[in-house]
Amino acid sequence: MGPAPAGAQFRGAAGEPEVMEPALEGTGKEGKKESSKKHTVAGSPGEGLWQPVKLSRAELYKEPTNEELNRLRETESLFHSSLLRLQVEELLKEVRLSEKKKERIDAFLREVNQRIMRVPSTPETELTDQVWLPAGVQVPLHQVPYAVKGRFRFLPPARVTVVGSYLLGTCIRPDINVDVALTMPREILQDKDGLNQRYFRKRALYLAHLAHHLAPDPLFSSVRFSYTNGCHLKPSLLLRPHGKDERLVTVRLHPCPPPDFFRPCRLLPSKNNVRSAWYRGQSPPGSGSPEPPTPHYNTWVLQDTALESHVQLLSTVLGSTLGLKDGVALLKVWLRQRELDKGLGGFSGFLVSMLVAFLVSTRKIHTTMSGYQVLRSILQFLATTDLTVNGISLCLSSDPSLPALADFHQAFPVVFLDSSGRLNLCADVTASTYHQVQHEARLSMVLLDSKADDGFQLLLMTPKPMIRAFDHVLHLHPLSRLQAACHRLKLWPELQDHGGDYVSATLGPLTTLLEQGLGSRLHLLAHSRPPVSEWDISQDPPKHRDSGTLTLGLLLRPEGLTSVLELGPEADQPEAADFRRFWGSRSELRRFQDGAIREAVVWEAASMAQKRLIPHQVVTHLLALHADIPDTCVHYMGGLLEALIQGLKETSSTGEEALAAVVRCYDDLSRQLWGLEGLPLTVSAVQGAHPVLRYTEVFPPAPVKPAYSFYEHLRERASLLPRPDKPCPAYVEPMTVVCHLEGSGQWPQDAEAIRRVRAAFQLRLAELLTQQHGLRCRATATHTDVFKDGFVFRIRVAYQREPQILKETRSPEGMISLRDTRASLRLERDTRQLPLLTSALHGLQQQHPAFSGVARLAKRWVRAQLLGEGLTDESLDLVAAALFLHPEPFTPPSSPQVGFLRFLFLVSTFDWKNNPLIINLNNELTVEEQVEIRSGFLATRLQLPVMVIFTPQDRKSSVWTQDGPSPQILQRLVVLAAEALPVLEKQLMDPRGPGDIRTVFRPPLDMYDVLIRLSPRHIPRHRQGVDSPAASFCRGLLSEPGSSSLMPVLGYDPPQLYLAQLREAFGDLALFFYDQHGGEVIGVLWKPSSFQPQPFKASNTKGRMVVSQVGELMMVPNVEAILEDFAILGEGLVQAVEARSERWTV
Amino acid sequence: MVARRRKRAARGSEEGLTSPPGYSAIPIKFSEKQQASHYLYVRGHRVREGTKSSWPQKRTLFVLNVPPYCTEECLSRLLSPCGPVQSVELQEKPDLAETTKEPKSKFFHPKPVPGFQVAYVVFQKPGGVSAALALKGPLLVSTESHPVKSGVHKWIRDYRDSVLDPEALRVEVDTFMETYDKKMAEEEAKAQEEEGVPDEEGWVKVTRRGRRPVLPRTEAASLRVLEREKRKRARKELLNFYAWQHRETKMEHLAQLRKKFEEDKQRIELMRAQRKFRPY
Repeated sequence: MGPAPAGAQFRGAAGEPEVMEPALEGTGKEGKKESSKKHTVAGSPGEGLWQPVKLSRAELYKEPTNEELNRLRETESLFHSSLLRLQVEELLKEVRLSEKKKERIDAFLREVNQRIMRVPSTPETELTDQVWLPAGVQVPLHQVPYAVKGRFRFLPPARVTVVGSYLLGTCIRPDINVDVALTMPREILQDKDGLNQRYFRKRALYLAHLAHHLAPDPLFSSVRFSYTNGCHLKPSLLLRPHGKDERLVTVRLHPCPPPDFFRPCRLLPSKNNVRSAWYRGQSPPGSGSPEPPTPHYNTWVLQDTALESHVQLLSTVLGSTLGLKDGVALLKVWLRQRELDKGLGGFSGFLVSMLVAFLVSTRKIHTTMSGYQVLRSILQFLATTDLTVNGISLCLSSDPSLPALADFHQAFPVVFLDSSGRLNLCADVTASTYHQVQHEARLSMVLLDSKADDGFQLLLMTPKPMIRAFDHVLHLHPLSRLQAACHRLKLWPELQDHGGDYVSATLGPLTTLLEQGLGSRLHLLAHSRPPVSEWDISQDPPKHRDSGTLTLGLLLRPEGLTSVLELGPEADQPEAADFRRFWGSRSELRRFQDGAIREAVVWEAASMAQKRLIPHQVVTHLLALHADIPDTCVHYMGGLLEALIQGLKETSSTGEEALAAVVRCYDDLSRQLWGLEGLPLTVSAVQGAHPVLRYTEVFPPAPVKPAYSFYEHLRERASLLPRPDKPCPAYVEPMTVVCHLEGSGQWPQDAEAIRRVRAAFQLRLAELLTQQHGLRCRATATHTDVFKDGFVFRIRVAYQREPQILKETRSPEGMISLRDTRASLRLERDTRQLPLLTSALHGLQQQHPAFSGVARLAKRWVRAQLLGEGLTDESLDLVAAALFLHPEPFTPPSSPQVGFLRFLFLVSTFDWKNNPLIINLNNELTVEEQVEIRSGFLATRLQLPVMVIFTPQDRKSSVWTQDGPSPQILQRLVVLAAEALPVLEKQLMDPRGPGDIRTVFRPPLDMYDVLIRLSPRHIPRHRQGVDSPAASFCRGLLSEPGSSSLMPVLGYDPPQLYLAQLREAFGDLALFFYDQHGGEVIGVLWKPSSFQPQPFKASNTKGRMVVSQVGELMMVPNVEAILEDFAILGEGLVQAVEARSERWTV
Repeated sequence: MVARRRKRAARGSEEGLTSPPGYSAIPIKFSEKQQASHYLYVRGHRVREGTKSSWPQKRTLFVLNVPPYCTEECLSRLLSPCGPVQSVELQEKPDLAETTKEPKSKFFHPKPVPGFQVAYVVFQKPGGVSAALALKGPLLVSTESHPVKSGVHKWIRDYRDSVLDPEALRVEVDTFMETYDKKMAEEEAKAQEEEGVPDEEGWVKVTRRGRRPVLPRTEAASLRVLEREKRKRARKELLNFYAWQHRETKMEHLAQLRKKFEEDKQRIELMRAQRKFRPY
């Protein structure tokens, strides 16, 4: 874990006046007055807080001007809402290039132009004779095979033109690139230069010579080579200005052939321009067979010839229409947030511009449209059109000599032809990249249509890195294995076409292979695009294998994950052979219950966790079988974090099964309660109210089988007791179940009497359950503990009207009014809201099987950071639920890993101060209701807690965060999450393996003032620790059930009892932090305010002493005695109290 | 730092303990082993003229800052050298007004976790108070003859104590309900008696139990009535009937838009301040 923010900062925050003190009372008029006073007085701490706008009547109702009316009308028709309009304007302001900078760039470009024209020419030499090249520069191209015909000489370019987005005014910050096309003079080129990479060799030599002469120039801070769009045959030269503009702009030089030099008919996708005899040094086997077409090679040549015509087209379309330019800029931001625009085959800004041009030509976009409407139209088009099946073309002429779209479909996965009708703009785009674009467009359209308040934020401002967008991610590393894969997959023609770039040659076939294999488990497969590398001119160009790693992202389909079977065709069908070939040795003949005999593949997976990882098995099997990639090269990131929520003994399951077992037992119990005979009133509802019953308990309970000799016995109460001479027994937490009894006139109308009647019912329940079902029960005044199948349930009888009776107050006139009291709110929360929440989340788990894992990982992390006390179970569960119910701009997570990453992202980026987290459980809230909730939130912000979570059942008060977290704890949580996220993402994206995945779970301890070390002997959950100890103490459990059934020790957790005492005694002076899952240390932080000397007050002497300071009697904390108290109160449990006295002064 | 504090503590013991006016300080430690000690601040219990107190004046000692491990018995034992102790009562806060003490049931009012408390110690004779004020200490809570449990041993004892006898609970509930039922029956009888009987001024009290029951006097009921009235009135009103009504609705719409616009502008301002528009 990175360095923790200094405790000082944390402590400083604690000292500030608390702005958002939750005020329960203070509703009504008086409260309002007070809050408005707070506004003005405590204006400074409330800064950065939205306040309801107050406009005077005169301002609101003055006569509108024409201009204003126009703007309002425009907003209504062109944008979604005025907020969106303002947001879009702000964003564009942010990414636009300012005029001042444009001038500086223009000046730089003029300089560049002059320098290029001054580069001297060279005498003509053979292409293979490169001795004329000076020593300091290398040819930026892999010349394989080296021997090639042709002659080269350098001449200054015939024309230097600026092409691309800079000219169109659609380039966006921060990476400003200016593309400059250098038209090579015709004298350099010869006939047939289109053949066998001759043109590309010349292009590279041209650049090498240019680079050599430009490099020493003081105008440039760096002169480097790069590949144009990642294409390995087409280097370009990058020039960056010297001085303060270094990061402002990159000028990219692209040499291109003179117009009309190549004959277009030679470069059609069906033509061959790289001869096998030359490329492979031998003629293809069985001479006479036709040369394989080289569509990509041809496209790359064509691209160079069309640079200028594309710019002309775009400038006529975009021209002076601001809306279209805005639209293109927005789309570029959209693509970039989704990491779709970079690398070879990326969906670049240029493609989007062309798409805008296409939609303008088909009149789907009008030039008066606003940027937002353009964005919307393009997304709509992408979402509904499949360019892999129905290509589109900008070409309007119906010349019969032009090739048909079908020809292009044969050669390329995605087809979008330019205005010449010969060049496929999407030639390098793979089918999976296009599907990813489509998928994103669809998601975005749903988001735009949903009228969500923060659509803009989610659409354009939220980054979607691969690791956070996809459920599982796998890295192929090292990439050199792909070369072997190429041979195994028989991809020689593709290799020839791609000029030896085996990474891009194998991408398509590999993704198709995996998509087919994953079948119904897969929703979307995406691959990272090889990054565009840059290198120094004195270096050789990077090898294919150096282009990083290939990362694949899998978006899983949860309903497909449950099956362990891959059902094939019946054995006698002809497809059976294909199936066998595809799956290899994994395919078996199986006889099914319906009598069919089929080919099938069965994966080994018993638990939910293993089933989630079946894609791992599929991928490694298929890659090894078909592409010869061993599993040591496949680094699969999917289930690494699951180790943290795995139980002590089993390593194959993440507890979903154990939780389901408890829920089954609970269902059984509730049936027994329903059927109980002899209760004076009938049971009207049985509802679970414990995290286990909503699948979010971090460690699900295991059935308890106590070893009786380990305990002391209390025979007359049939209970076991812990023994002081033994280690602390296993922790058994009773699971709360609320049992509502029917209303009746028999219930008394007095709160005290109701308590007594409830107690009588608790006793009766225990009696009846023992009699009728033979269950061991123990009743107290407030609950009945039931020991059933090794689990302990705590049944609490509830009477529906009790909260209301607690609320009743009688005014002097005899009017009965209802006022919330602390007791009534508490009771309502425990008996009404908690069961509702539990059942809603239980339902969520049925819809999204990954919910349990995500919620538990999140809770685990928060507790491991010692913040578990500040945040209630329920609030964390709700935040986790938000990831599933409001996943935008993502899809609901299907694996705990991605869910946890998004939890960290949500916690660290959500604006808790100004926004409520609205969780629309069961989709009960309409859009209007949500708006209403938001405005209610704004009006009552100061009365609400810092962290506000609303649900359909709780629209005003944020029940689960009323008692915490405090502003400081929330701040700490946000900071920790913001630190943990990049660390964890980096680990998961590291192809060499993630290292120690538990790093982000270990809490930083250097911020605490005192550390209290606990003895593991008395920590019952010691084995649950983040770094689980290899051995711990015996906790008095048997593997086989014992003979008698005494009630086990319930809820006995010494660290928790100790903490309760500490908080009660020293809560005014210090904060205590502890990880309930096996933490061995308690962190203590002094409250800075309590260390201020205070005048003597009889009500405030707790743990303080009187000293005389400068003649006055003041009270200060009696720190030394308190430190000793820490040890006394925890006698037996506390090992050591480490005071870091250098951290504080009294 | 610690050294400095040590020194100060040492000096304190030389010079006599500092204590706030009216109080005297008595050091108290858990046992011999501890180095530092807490201080009890004690004084005679007195209240202002006219206010009543449940504690006997002159014989009661008021003790502040009683450490959490010090129980009633313990305090009684520690102060008994000053004179025979009649009763010790530990409380969370000093009670200002007189409270009626009810015996608390151990079933319905489980003992809270103790923190630092205040105590009222009643001696049998007034002399005990003055003797206690002069006490030097340090008092030891736990000694070999009277060990006080803390930590694991205490928790185990607490756990044992928390396992209560259900029979005793039943008995307690039954007796409570019996008295409660009796009380209710009496009230009922009294109400029945008064039913329809005019008081001396001739007023008759109408209750729920009468022949013609009336609405219960609750806030909710009266709100319901008001709501019904309002709806009735709204039904009669005409909307967008006159030209001025039209004009006003339009203006209202415009005002809403303006208000929304202002709000949005403010939000944007805030987001800009938070650099929310940097996309990457």
